[in-house]
Amino acid sequence: MGAKIEPLPPFTPDLYQRAWASVPHPTLPLLATAHANSVTVFSLSTLSKHSALTGGHSRSVRTVTWQPGLKSHQLRLVTGSFDASAGLWSWNGDNNEVTSGERLEVDVTKPQEGEEEEEAKEDWEFNLVLEGHENEIKSVAFSPSGQFLATCSRDKTVWIWEDVGVEDDDDEWETLAVLNDHDADVKAVAWAPDVPGRTKGARGKYSADVLASASYDNTVRIWREEGEGEWVCVACLEGHNGTVWGLQFESCPRRGDKFPRLLTWSADGSIRIWSLKEEPEEEGEEADTGSGATAGSIFRSGLGGIPNTMRRSLREDWECTAVLPKVHTREIYSATWSAKTGMIASTGSDGTIALYAEVEADGDTEMANTAADAETKDSASPAWKVLTTVPVAHGPYEINHITWCKRFDSGAERKGEEEMLVTTGDDGVIRPWKVTTQ
Amino acid sequence: MDNANPTILDVSQLPSRRQKQTKARDGPDSKYDHILFPKQAWPWGPKNSSSWPSDEEDEADDQDQDEEYVEEPIDEQEIYDLISSISDPEHPNTLGQLSVVNLPDIHITPSPVERLDPQALRTVVVELTPTITHCSMATIIGLAVRVRLESVLPPNYRVDVRMKDGSHDQDDQLNKQLADKERVAAALENDSLKRMLGDMLKTCAF
Repeated sequence: MGAKIEPLPPFTPDLYQRAWASVPHPTLPLLATAHANSVTVFSLSTLSKHSALTGGHSRSVRTVTWQPGLKSHQLRLVTGSFDASAGLWSWNGDNNEVTSGERLEVDVTKPQEGEEEEEAKEDWEFNLVLEGHENEIKSVAFSPSGQFLATCSRDKTVWIWEDVGVEDDDDEWETLAVLNDHDADVKAVAWAPDVPGRTKGARGKYSADVLASASYDNTVRIWREEGEGEWVCVACLEGHNGTVWGLQFESCPRRGDKFPRLLTWSADGSIRIWSLKEEPEEEGEEADTGSGATAGSIFRSGLGGIPNTMRRSLREDWECTAVLPKVHTREIYSATWSAKTGMIASTGSDGTIALYAEVEADGDTEMANTAADAETKDSASPAWKVLTTVPVAHGPYEINHITWCKRFDSGAERKGEEEMLVTTGDDGVIRPWKVTTQ
Repeated sequence: MDNANPTILDVSQLPSRRQKQTKARDGPDSKYDHILFPKQAWPWGPKNSSSWPSDEEDEADDQDQDEEYVEEPIDEQEIYDLISSISDPEHPNTLGQLSVVNLPDIHITPSPVERLDPQALRTVVVELTPTITHCSMATIIGLAVRVRLESVLPPNYRVDVRMKDGSHDQDDQLNKQLADKERVAAALENDSLKRMLGDMLKTCAF
């Protein structure tokens, strides 16, 4: 399989300053870009500015995410800022125009405090500030249902918040847990998507939601809820040799409803894929009670360096089952795994975009992967190949973020289905790319 | 103060090509702003960004820079001149005088003599030698060097600032911190750090 990546006209206007990330709405034709102390929302229909969130944060907004699972007339964004707070914003306007993606003329002046309401104005309203982190928030992410929000910070912690007011349309949020197992800054958080394989491995002990976090301490941790509000670290993934900048669970349902794999990318210039080692159902029940079985599985995943006191809480066996072919010459800041095609794209400090696909050898690559030893996989990764690369994709500038995004613009052949890539750079340009495979 | 009596070189002893450079690249009023605020950090960056690949209007604007960077590429001596004049946060001397910055510890790859596409990446590695091995000011010095170079070099230059092997007790931690784009960006939004960097960069010529 070959592929071509061609530039489409950039979103307008340019932001003329470093932009950190652009996040598409899960269903609507909207894209939210974090830059300086604000967020600009673009329409994916017109590829131009739709609205802006300003006045809520005193320092840069590093990250932004859309709350899923809301009623159809509601739109909500959560921002995470270097000012150590997360902000909840609601759209206070005509949603018909939002859903059709038409451009709105919006007055960007906003009340400084979240309490103030301005009636009958089509604008983003700063509803609530989530405070608790000691310093910069690096990433925010919603669980698939929208019930839980995870935030992470340079203060080494991950916080889980619950939207307890969703039934009554109240802005009421509670802190459920503060996870502090990482040894350094937590750079990113991601939840497993709601695919049929998600409950695998839970063995009735845990609730369905699974959270993963990536850190400056070079590790990735997996978290599950054990009993009401009790979140525990069930695995620590070691292998990266530098800051893990980010992570994403696979969204394509897997053959045999296996648990989604996890993609991680790092300052070490590598991209890894990790898989949960699933034990047969009955054996799994025993493994939970016998400490010998647990210790054995930890040994296999190469976690010998973890002190004994911590081993007891590491109950899941994750192994690195692929390392993507090396393309990037500098830190990898972002990668994205398509829910539709399963292709992965990555970018970073070298300003290059790389596109990868999994090679379907003998009809069942996944089986071969799981069976193989993780260590041998490190040196050679026959399962993934590079389809194409685009050097200097934002001219000489660094690229901070890349994401797959559905196309709704007039150039799309199948609106709402066809996927494009969107990159966000230090030059303040948000650039869509057409991807064609042969 | 960590080292009350560091070795100080006389300015005349330092390698320099300063005299040859006549043209300041920025007006005096804005000369620290662009160093401290990333959004204005690249004098020609934002202007060009809207028009990649450049349109004609911008090319006319950029002719000065094209001449400067294409005709006469930036070499290690020029990098040295840009950072040796930064003031030490603790001593009344520059980083050049204190031999924190040394010409043989500056490396550009690919080498400046190689002609490349103007957008192709070049990496500048600067290895610093703090005045003593546990100098607590090493982070801020490293930050000042990174900020200084990123603010004046063209956007295709990637700046890697490190501690010279064995020159500092926590090399790895420090190097990792200085390489972290997100931490550096956040540090530059900290008012007291910004003031400190501003003071250190006051002694830079342009």
